[in-house]
Amino acid sequence: MAETKLLLEHAHDPSYRTLDGYLAKGGYAGLKRALGMDRQAVIDQVKASGLRGRGGAGFPTWIKWNGIEKDKHAPHHFMLCNADEGEPGTFKDKQLMEETPFLVIEGMTIGGYATQADTGYVYIRGEFVDAARAMRKAIDEAYAAGYLGKNILGSGYDFDLHIHMGAGSYECGEESALMSSLMGERGMPRLKFPHAPLPTVAGLWDLPTVINNVETYAVAPFILERGGEWYSTLGASTKNSRGTKVFSVSGHVNKPGNYEIDFGTTLLDLFALAGGVKGTLKACVPGGSSVPMIDADACSKAVIGYEEMAEVGSMVGSGGCIVLNDQVCIVKFIWRTALFYANESCGKCTPCREGTRWLLQILERIVKGNGQPGDKELLLEICSQIDGRSFCGLGDAAAWPVVGAIKAFPQEFDYYIANGRSMVESDLVLVG
Amino acid sequence: MAAAPTTDTVTISINDVEIEVPKGELIVDAVKRLGLEIPIFCYHSRMKPVGMCRMCLVEVGFKQPDGSVRKMPKPQAGCTLPASEGMAVYTDTELVHKDRRGVLEFLLINHPLDCPICDRGGECPLQNNTLFYGPSTSRFIELKRHLPKAFPLSRYVTLDLERCIQCGRCVRFTEEISGDAQLAFRFRGANMQPTSFQLTEFESKFSGNVIEICPVGALTSTKYRFRARPWDLETKPAICTVCSNGCSVWFDYRVGKFVRLNGRVNEAVNEEWTCDRGKFGHDFYNSPKRLLAPALRKEDALRTANWAEAYAAILEAFEPGGNAVAALTGPMVSNESYYLLQKLFRGVFRSNNLDHRWTRHLSAASDRLESKMGMPTVATSIEAFEHKSAVLAIGTSLADEEPILFLRLRKAWFKNGTKVVVACDRDTDADSFAHLVLRYRPGTEMALAGGLLAAAVESGRATVPDPVREDLKRYSPSAAASATGVPEDRIREAADILGPNAAIVTTHRLLDVADAQGTLEYLAGLAMCLRAEFNLYALGANDQGALELGIHPELLPSGVALADAEAAAEVGRTMGIEIPREPGLGTHELLRACADGRIKALWLVGCDPFALHADRDLVQRALEGVEFLVVQDIVETEATSYASVILPMLGPAEQDGTYTNMERRVQRLRQVIPDAGDAKPAWRIFAEAMLRAQPQTPFFSAEEIMEEIARVAPAFEVARYDRLGHEGTRL
Ligand SMILES: Cc1cc2nc3c(=O)[nH]c(=O)nc-3n(C[C@H](O)[C@H](O)[C@H](O)COP(=O)(O)O)c2cc1C
Ligand code: SF4
Ligand code: FES
Repeated sequence: MAETKLLLEHAHDPSYRTLDGYLAKGGYAGLKRALGMDRQAVIDQVKASGLRGRGGAGFPTWIKWNGIEKDKHAPHHFMLCNADEGEPGTFKDKQLMEETPFLVIEGMTIGGYATQADTGYVYIRGEFVDAARAMRKAIDEAYAAGYLGKNILGSGYDFDLHIHMGAGSYECGEESALMSSLMGERGMPRLKFPHAPLPTVAGLWDLPTVINNVETYAVAPFILERGGEWYSTLGASTKNSRGTKVFSVSGHVNKPGNYEIDFGTTLLDLFALAGGVKGTLKACVPGGSSVPMIDADACSKAVIGYEEMAEVGSMVGSGGCIVLNDQVCIVKFIWRTALFYANESCGKCTPCREGTRWLLQILERIVKGNGQPGDKELLLEICSQIDGRSFCGLGDAAAWPVVGAIKAFPQEFDYYIANGRSMVESDLVLVG
Repeated sequence: MAAAPTTDTVTISINDVEIEVPKGELIVDAVKRLGLEIPIFCYHSRMKPVGMCRMCLVEVGFKQPDGSVRKMPKPQAGCTLPASEGMAVYTDTELVHKDRRGVLEFLLINHPLDCPICDRGGECPLQNNTLFYGPSTSRFIELKRHLPKAFPLSRYVTLDLERCIQCGRCVRFTEEISGDAQLAFRFRGANMQPTSFQLTEFESKFSGNVIEICPVGALTSTKYRFRARPWDLETKPAICTVCSNGCSVWFDYRVGKFVRLNGRVNEAVNEEWTCDRGKFGHDFYNSPKRLLAPALRKEDALRTANWAEAYAAILEAFEPGGNAVAALTGPMVSNESYYLLQKLFRGVFRSNNLDHRWTRHLSAASDRLESKMGMPTVATSIEAFEHKSAVLAIGTSLADEEPILFLRLRKAWFKNGTKVVVACDRDTDADSFAHLVLRYRPGTEMALAGGLLAAAVESGRATVPDPVREDLKRYSPSAAASATGVPEDRIREAADILGPNAAIVTTHRLLDVADAQGTLEYLAGLAMCLRAEFNLYALGANDQGALELGIHPELLPSGVALADAEAAAEVGRTMGIEIPREPGLGTHELLRACADGRIKALWLVGCDPFALHADRDLVQRALEGVEFLVVQDIVETEATSYASVILPMLGPAEQDGTYTNMERRVQRLRQVIPDAGDAKPAWRIFAEAMLRAQPQTPFFSAEEIMEEIARVAPAFEVARYDRLGHEGTRL
């Protein structure tokens, strides 16, 4: 199956990163159409498209947009773009911002128009200096040409867009922690519904706020230009996933990189697009390091779609697809993953703060050859004490990969614990 | 933040029992209505819920139209969940118990098991929750984290980082309650630590509270560390007597020695907080300088004597009486003792030479706002500040002078948006939340007060009699602005903010400034015109009581002026004495009279004039000039070396008695610490002296004295011991 190129069609064309080049390729047609439409009609188009958030959770985008008060009473409505992209294995937002910045800006402006937002913030991961530069340049150009700022394209709609650079915390990609960070507080998550109002009611500075992922916004111009109905024809073979999705394929494939596919594509087809698996496929972490890994057998059955991936025991997540061949020791792989989450736990809640560190300590001991009988079961128990108990999704994200790996490859854990060494003869030595 | 509870109610079920609760009430609080408890660590009812520790997880569902309950897939934190219609909460399911065990196991893996030597052991929420809900064994075999065990955050607070369970209570206290934002978390995840900014001194006037709200032994009192185990302590309710706020506190003592003070709940006064001055300011009970036996000067040296010798010498010196004798008092004396002192002086020594005031300005009885303007000088209760729309604090640094009132005012701003105008000649802690800061040049208080009144008059919101209007011309807002250095528009804005639901607050500190009388009159006038409340609060523990009970050269108990011959005679009759007609001298005159020999005998009751009076030189001349000096005190002071007789008196917590705080709340303090040496309660000293001077029925208890006070000063009816409630009673 071939790649469907929507977002990435002109990604490799440097002129697309300038306003003129973008316009020449039909850019801003979506916004122009949107500005001529009723605000609700814009939201209805997004609803018809079936677009679901590309940041990981797959939440229907239109519901968020529709949740903003129609009668604007608040002094501000905000549009936030989550460009923190911290999930290991995921690097699509980076490319989208560096190579198609105007798609993101146009998408945010469309969303802003639909929700009467006057201000937008792009919260960019601190390490993404190139992406931030590209976005800065594009925003400046858009301002100069009247695509941002006061009275956009003579429509009477005002929208200001700012960039904020993160300071190096994975947790700041979690939407409420992102808002804390944006407000100058420690990057810790905030209470969520039903413990507090939805962000669409009281988000950033307690004002109505929409937050979406970079890729989610980048899709909006196409939906507005070609219509929600058209967009919903892409991926129609799946249960409830529509359109295209950019997957960051890494690991043991011949051509790692970002690939855009229709929902409904099989996982193996995605591997094929990425030049095929190097060596013998052993497992895959299909949606970023936090989703459970699946073994080769499950890979062969997997169809890409939110519900379809759940059927094989994993998730679409953020689309960070990590391919592992038979040279990889699963125990060490999971130890390295656990190291990431223990480092990134913000410390706010007990299960995640203490649990991630304990998981790491046990896995480290196993990897060093000091595993003990019962360790595997203890790991699972600890995960069950974290999963669903932590304050935000980071705890879950730390627990799922461990549970997934133990479920998919129990024998590797048993072997390592019993023999003090890996089952995989030539396992790669991971840095740690 | 969770929605604020409203008056609407909702029906929820808790463990299948239906109950009506205020809409939005947090589930942790709602379950208490059924006598149930959800274990907590991070939740504190006086701070915003944060849901950090996850100890309070419960199962939650919602009632469906068909009557069944659909449970949410994940357990929910009870401390952050507001009650809503049809909510079904389960606090006692197998899953809930498993979650509690899980959270406790996590908390304990890195918590040192040094309970046997921990200050908190025996009164530790972590210990208690572990006992009730925790796992009995640990599956943790890795290395525990190791961190500094005694990091000095400040002079008062030592942090044991290993014990911290990262609940954030301490951090939130400094952000939400004290407002000094001195603590924050640094580092991330399991390495997260509470810390002061850049590890500098944790500088707060309220730091001691974090020791109490820390649910483990991480924040410890530098003074109390390793001094006692909770079960060795006797804990008794008391009142703090370090300042005029009169906080409810617990006194802990061990083998008869005071070791620790904690806050006690009194919603009307301190809620549950204490200030550092109070919490750490009771060392005098154990001071090596305690006066434990009477002493008499013989051959130019002070020698231990017995009480009979002391009384004999005193009576010999004081009995000539009249203008030649005098008494000055400090603030830490009970109502009963003040009353008896003035009765002794007026009835036995026939003298009105009595004063408790140490400020530069001493209002003559006829100049008092009560008599001159009919304006009460204490109107607003501490609690009432919470609901004031605006407050002007002028000439005072509240955090230093009225610390608990400061916390209440901050709460009023934080929770209810009270607009606070701070007028002071220097930075104050209240500036941080002030709506408006008026920084005037030192000594220009009167111009500012006049300017505020003039602005109110100009805006048409206040009307004043013509002579006042004429007088105010010198303080038109623009004139006041140039005199004080406060921009004119701010003066006008401040005057605009005040109104009927406002309070003006100042303290006796204002009596130290130039033109204090004029300043007070303008402020009282401003309050009167705007129908706001005016408050001139006392500073010392029982200054207000001393005033109410006649430790004053011109005022008798219940505030009757000596000049009002008929009323004064009536007061005398109720007291059973004849009140001398001639007014006494105020503190300054009185000291001068001592210095030049007009006063022969002076009795100092719980006061060191060197510490309290502005003119050291005058004090020295007075103490040297007076022929006979009685120093009655708790500890040795600079004045004791001048004494002819030293009388040891017991401290407030070593006797029964009542104290009147700055909002005129009378509170009872029972004896919580055993007697020290031969020292006696002040009232007993006065009673015994009276008895030796004139045969009469002596007083045997403080309660008997209060019975008499209630007859003499009817306002104290409500303060009779059988009527005084747990929170005390305002006069
Ligand atoms: C620990 C954690 C990290 C996250 N990091 C990111 C991120 O880097 N980028 C992102 O778009 N969403 C991230 N999310 C998801 C966001 O919370 C949120 O769901 C998303 O921004 C919503 O956008 P969408 O509706 O367009 O997907 C993260 C979630 C969690 C729990
Ligand atoms: S020091 Fe105490 S109050 Fe502060 S976070 Fe740690 S456990 Fe909580
Ligand atoms: S008490 Fe509810 S999370 Fe701490």
